[in-house]
Amino acid sequence: MNFRHKHIFLLPGLLVLIGILIFPILFTIRLSLSSWDSFYPGLDFIGLENYVRLFTEDQRFWESFFRLSFLSLTTVFLQYVLGFSLALMVWRDLAFKRFFRVLFLIPMMTTPVIMTVIWKTVFHESLGPVNDFLSLFEITPLWLSDDTLAKVTVIIVETWQWTPFMFLLLLAGLLSLPEEAFLAASIDGAGPVRKFIYVTFPLMAPISIGAIIIRLIEASKIMDTIYVLTSGGPGTATETSSFYIFIKGLREFQMGYSAALSFTYLVIMIVSLTIIAKVLVRVMIKQD
Amino acid sequence: MDLIAKGLTYKPEDEFHLNDVSFGMQKGELYTILGRTLSGKTTLLKTIAGLITPEGGRMLFNDQDLGQVPVWERNIAMVYQQFINYPHLTVFDNIAFPLRQRKLDDGIIRGRVMDSLESVGLTGFEGRKIQALSGGQQQRVALARSLAKQAGILLLDEPLVNLDYKLREQLREEFRNIFSDKVSSNSILIYSSTDPLEAMQLGGDIIILDEGRVLQQGPAHEIFENPANTRVAEISNDPAMNLLSGAIDGSKIVIGDDIKLAVPAHFKSLTPSAYTFGIRASDVSLHQKGLPFKVELAEISGSETFLHVQSGRHTIVGLLDMVQNFDAGDVVNLKLDATRLYAFGQDGALVSSPFAGDF
Amino acid sequence: MLNLYTFLKYGFICIWSMFVVAPFLWALSTSFKDFQSVTSGATYIPWLQFEPTLEGWRVLWKTPASGGVDIVEPYFNSIIVTCSASLISILLGTLAAYALSRFTFKAGFIKNNDITFFFISQRIMPPVVLSIPFFIMLGYLGLLDSLVGLIMVYIVLLMPIAVWIMVDFFNKVPREIDETALIDGCNPYQAFFKVVLPNSIPGMIVAGMFCLIFGWTDFFFAFILTFTEVQLLPVRIVALNSSITPWWSLSASALISVAPLIVVAFIVERFLSKGNLSGALK
Repeated sequence: MNFRHKHIFLLPGLLVLIGILIFPILFTIRLSLSSWDSFYPGLDFIGLENYVRLFTEDQRFWESFFRLSFLSLTTVFLQYVLGFSLALMVWRDLAFKRFFRVLFLIPMMTTPVIMTVIWKTVFHESLGPVNDFLSLFEITPLWLSDDTLAKVTVIIVETWQWTPFMFLLLLAGLLSLPEEAFLAASIDGAGPVRKFIYVTFPLMAPISIGAIIIRLIEASKIMDTIYVLTSGGPGTATETSSFYIFIKGLREFQMGYSAALSFTYLVIMIVSLTIIAKVLVRVMIKQD
Repeated sequence: MDLIAKGLTYKPEDEFHLNDVSFGMQKGELYTILGRTLSGKTTLLKTIAGLITPEGGRMLFNDQDLGQVPVWERNIAMVYQQFINYPHLTVFDNIAFPLRQRKLDDGIIRGRVMDSLESVGLTGFEGRKIQALSGGQQQRVALARSLAKQAGILLLDEPLVNLDYKLREQLREEFRNIFSDKVSSNSILIYSSTDPLEAMQLGGDIIILDEGRVLQQGPAHEIFENPANTRVAEISNDPAMNLLSGAIDGSKIVIGDDIKLAVPAHFKSLTPSAYTFGIRASDVSLHQKGLPFKVELAEISGSETFLHVQSGRHTIVGLLDMVQNFDAGDVVNLKLDATRLYAFGQDGALVSSPFAGDF
Repeated sequence: MLNLYTFLKYGFICIWSMFVVAPFLWALSTSFKDFQSVTSGATYIPWLQFEPTLEGWRVLWKTPASGGVDIVEPYFNSIIVTCSASLISILLGTLAAYALSRFTFKAGFIKNNDITFFFISQRIMPPVVLSIPFFIMLGYLGLLDSLVGLIMVYIVLLMPIAVWIMVDFFNKVPREIDETALIDGCNPYQAFFKVVLPNSIPGMIVAGMFCLIFGWTDFFFAFILTFTEVQLLPVRIVALNSSITPWWSLSASALISVAPLIVVAFIVERFLSKGNLSGALK
């Protein structure tokens, strides 16, 4: 269908979004070609100098990017496995299933930054309950000041916060599956494991891919948790791309350079998310 | 002619949905568009409604060019094959919706709604919610809404196809009565169907549509008696007319190696040559002196049996009157009634029919 | 019969439930402590292990001048920003989603899918990338540290969610319903407002819930783009963290800030169990 005034529906939203975003995007690109910093604020033109520095000298940016990849892939994988298991458990017959559904959703309703403040007290090395419990076994790990454990803590908090989102998307998908496929499998005498492998999982593949991609997009922006929990530390042990850009731009006020980081980061993200989506489609939907 | 279409063409991607479609329709008449699935029936109805803008051709209604008239100003009603009503409104408000849209008087609206509810047999349902109705009832509401509108053109797009068999038969009978009682001589009624039997039962004119083209338009009996070509013969019969390629050789009709029939009277003037012969399934019967065929499949449907048989490279479907059991591989003797044979030329066009002699 | 599978299932559900609830219980317990009870090591049960006090809660309503935290004003600021941005996003997002679902747009190589992708792709932008130019833009417009400025920024955050959910929703509403409205004499605007909109309420509620969640829980933009005039709830609470860390008022304010969205969890679950969500999410 088509009619002359169709644009009246689309344009208000599109123009508002473009209107708010056009300046930031163009400005970022222009800023990345300048040497704006706290000593000489201003839009001079230095060509691609920032990008040359970024690609040749800046080890720390690439390290932060690989750290981000590691953290987001790990957390999203964990969230997928846990979220899918939980969704399967409260999908059909379970006592008080609606109670558990609500309960399992609650963490995603909470403000990450505020809950992280609470988590920080939970993992406090001398006053927190985790080490209080572990001291029974005479160990008191340094959750926030050890390189590896700091990453583990970030992963635990992110998993607590965002498994519910994965759970929600997957449960909604499970509840929309056609009943007939399962009936047929039951008649064929398939047990629960076979039913999952041959019926549920393939049917859920498109929904799984969608959910994983959405979560990867959101997880790549991880910022609040790290800001509160570790501030990127100890050292740079939990510093992700966003946090590094934040330090360069808003702590050290190297505006020009951080704009170049931002722009490079965005391009890498769009390319890699597209590749991940393509690979997932290939792996999860078997062509036969 | 009150509704005239000339050269309607619609080709959204690579395939034609409508290919040079032309026809004329008169008020007070019923037209059935008969065609297989994806033949362009829905596209044609939507084009008449104005939901699709054709790329070529024009339409005139009451001598007015419809090209410039948007959907909401055309005086049209439509019933879809899906049961489409407004889910947020009650039955009464659903039917009153188009009338309120025209800002008619409340009294008139009430009268017309009640009247059309009565004619579809849903008196007393006016306060119900749509979701609380069965499929058949939902489709009655959709029909009532289109009747209450008293539109100049009433479009029905396979309205019964999503109902179960029994309900379909019952509603078809009711619809036919409603059409003759309630649809005034001021309206054109256009009904689309894939079912030849339905088209024949409804009477009126039939337009045969195939791959976006009009193959034939004429009264139901005319289509039945003289299908313009082999494709029409297939589309307008259920099961499709058996088509057998063969030749007239002297006083014999020769089909393949095994089938030989005497040339019937209405073929006398045909020159000896190759033809495609057509015979309806209902003109095939069991006969002791008939030709031997091997049974491939016997389908029992109600009180009839569809018998698929084979001889050489020809497959023939016969429609037998009663329930009869056959096993695959059985040999049966069948008589093909030569006096009911059609002959089509090499280009597929009809050259001789049992009803009107040769052409 | 309690077989191994059932045993594992209930075991897993119990462990996960405890994991979900644990930080809330800890915060609840902590909110009744004072300096003494916090610094003497981890304790859990009031009266038995420590002497409970309401100080942590009381301080939330006092002005900073009298040594309080005052979360009332940030609370209202958060409500105003989240609700306004959600409303505008849903309104504009629903209109745009309807257009993208029903009409065909073509401008060069750009088609409907590309426009939809443009809307949704805004979620890829990390807040930090946008925060510097936003800072400069809002400064130029005189909207730094103001509600209007924040609402503008939050629209960028929320409209993609609204468009994503509503495009999917409209794609599942049969377009024959709109067509019937047109045939019944509605022009496209009337068809939208009289027929499509009343039947889209479930989708709009789901989209609204998601906008509320992601608006209410955002921190970074509010953190960068406001200073003293307009503080949002998360910023005010996190500020407690960087000072001497009064765990008791921190915990109390965290619980209060989290409370309203628990209602959202119930609403989302209702839609989920009625099967309305599966249509709206995929």
